[in-house]
Amino acid sequence: MNIGNVGCTSRTAASSELMVRGAHPTQLLKSVGCALRTMMAGGKHIINGAQCVYARHLGAPYAVLCMILFLTGCEQRPQVYQQQVLALGTLVDISIYGVNEEKAAKAVTAVTNKMEAIHHDWHAWQPSKLTYINQQLAAGNSVSLNPKQQQLIQTGIELARQSDDLFNPAAGRLIALWGFHSDERPDAAPPANSKIQALVKADVRMSKLFLQDQQLSSPNPAVMIDVGGYAKGYAVDQAIDELRRLGINNAIINAGGDLRAIGDKGGLPWRIGIRHPRQTGVIASLETHGDESVFTSGDYERYFEFHGQRFHHIIDPRSGRPAQGTSSVTIIHRDASRADAAATAVFIAGTDLWRETARAMGIDEVMLIDTAGTIYMTEAMSRRVHIEIDNQINTIVVP
Amino acid sequence: MTLADKIVVALALLLLPFLYIEFWGNSSQGEAVQIRSANSEDITLPLDQDKRLQIKGALGSSTIEIKNRQVRFIDSPCQGKQCITSGWLHKDGQLAACLPNGVTVQIIGRDQRFDAVNF
Repeated sequence: MNIGNVGCTSRTAASSELMVRGAHPTQLLKSVGCALRTMMAGGKHIINGAQCVYARHLGAPYAVLCMILFLTGCEQRPQVYQQQVLALGTLVDISIYGVNEEKAAKAVTAVTNKMEAIHHDWHAWQPSKLTYINQQLAAGNSVSLNPKQQQLIQTGIELARQSDDLFNPAAGRLIALWGFHSDERPDAAPPANSKIQALVKADVRMSKLFLQDQQLSSPNPAVMIDVGGYAKGYAVDQAIDELRRLGINNAIINAGGDLRAIGDKGGLPWRIGIRHPRQTGVIASLETHGDESVFTSGDYERYFEFHGQRFHHIIDPRSGRPAQGTSSVTIIHRDASRADAAATAVFIAGTDLWRETARAMGIDEVMLIDTAGTIYMTEAMSRRVHIEIDNQINTIVVP
Repeated sequence: MTLADKIVVALALLLLPFLYIEFWGNSSQGEAVQIRSANSEDITLPLDQDKRLQIKGALGSSTIEIKNRQVRFIDSPCQGKQCITSGWLHKDGQLAACLPNGVTVQIIGRDQRFDAVNF
């Protein structure tokens, strides 16, 4: 998804606002275990404020009934602070566990400000540091970068190289040509083939940029850097660093459907649903462990329609056109920037090259759903995801 | 086992299907709708009471309709109108947003199977 995507949208997302989560089956099982332990001790037990008193001589039936009636648990449910903010041109859901409401609210403000600053610095079409850099590169000038800016560009160069330029942040002109450098792309004709081919022939690559002594320049004036393919991941990484700096170690930052989760909810893992690319609802779910990012690129995120044909925003730099054959790609990796870029690269790689591309980018956990609905995933991913729909799905698992 | 014991066991067994459906059942039907706007307080309304309301946003007024346990945008002062074309929402967690106007509509309910949804 492009970082500058500001528009009306329809999505499925976790509910937000400060709330107490409903009981999770795992919790309920724990509650049963707790009640059983108490029963075996033959004493009395306080469950949800109600006294459940019984003596051993009353026998198992009463114990079973007691346990079932008060199945709602003897341990406190996790208190998750949730807030939804508008940042990065999308809706960002922030979930925090294990700190008081005041601290959580302050953290939300801090990370929102951080993400907004990144958004403004790296906006692809509104006046920003990035548009200034692109003006200078187009004019054949070099431009000086501060260490953070240098780090982001260097990361883009490395990710592009590993993906064999399927992920190509230098190809901003193609994205602009297709009309995705605007808040809302109208349903109008796609660009002329001659213009597309001219940009493909310009052969822009991140690896051809010169970045030395904090000076960036390009011998190719057709380069227009667009960090939309990994800046959301970068912003999420920075936001997680900020949370940790503030002493928060259990949280999810979900930026318009792409997220990084750290820690857990008092011993219970964070549970993530993965949206079905062609229906409402969730196609699969997984639990995060420790510190993981889950990023998905889908052809349903940004698109326009013309004469009944849909044109999505993930442009294959080889053809200059929307990548064909893939509906969505989900990546799990610790680093959100890498997961973000890999989701785009693997989407473009398609069913022929998805595994090699993921491997070259250091990604083990990948799921690709093609336009026919077949699921391709790595063995490592197959051990993580649980398919949530009843219909028979053709699934191909590869090492 | 006395007669009373048997009655208690029977009652407990009868409760099991109810508890299974209540806690493990795949109920994703939403129960309420939450409307947020940058310009006003959040509003939470029951999904079973039909209503049409105007929400003030950054650009103007968005019109939202709740009908037959569903909710939708029927008007909004944005350019693309994707919030309107997204149509009726009825399942827990579904969300439609008009980002230019800063208005979001989300179905909320008891189905808290996921802490976040990835898309």
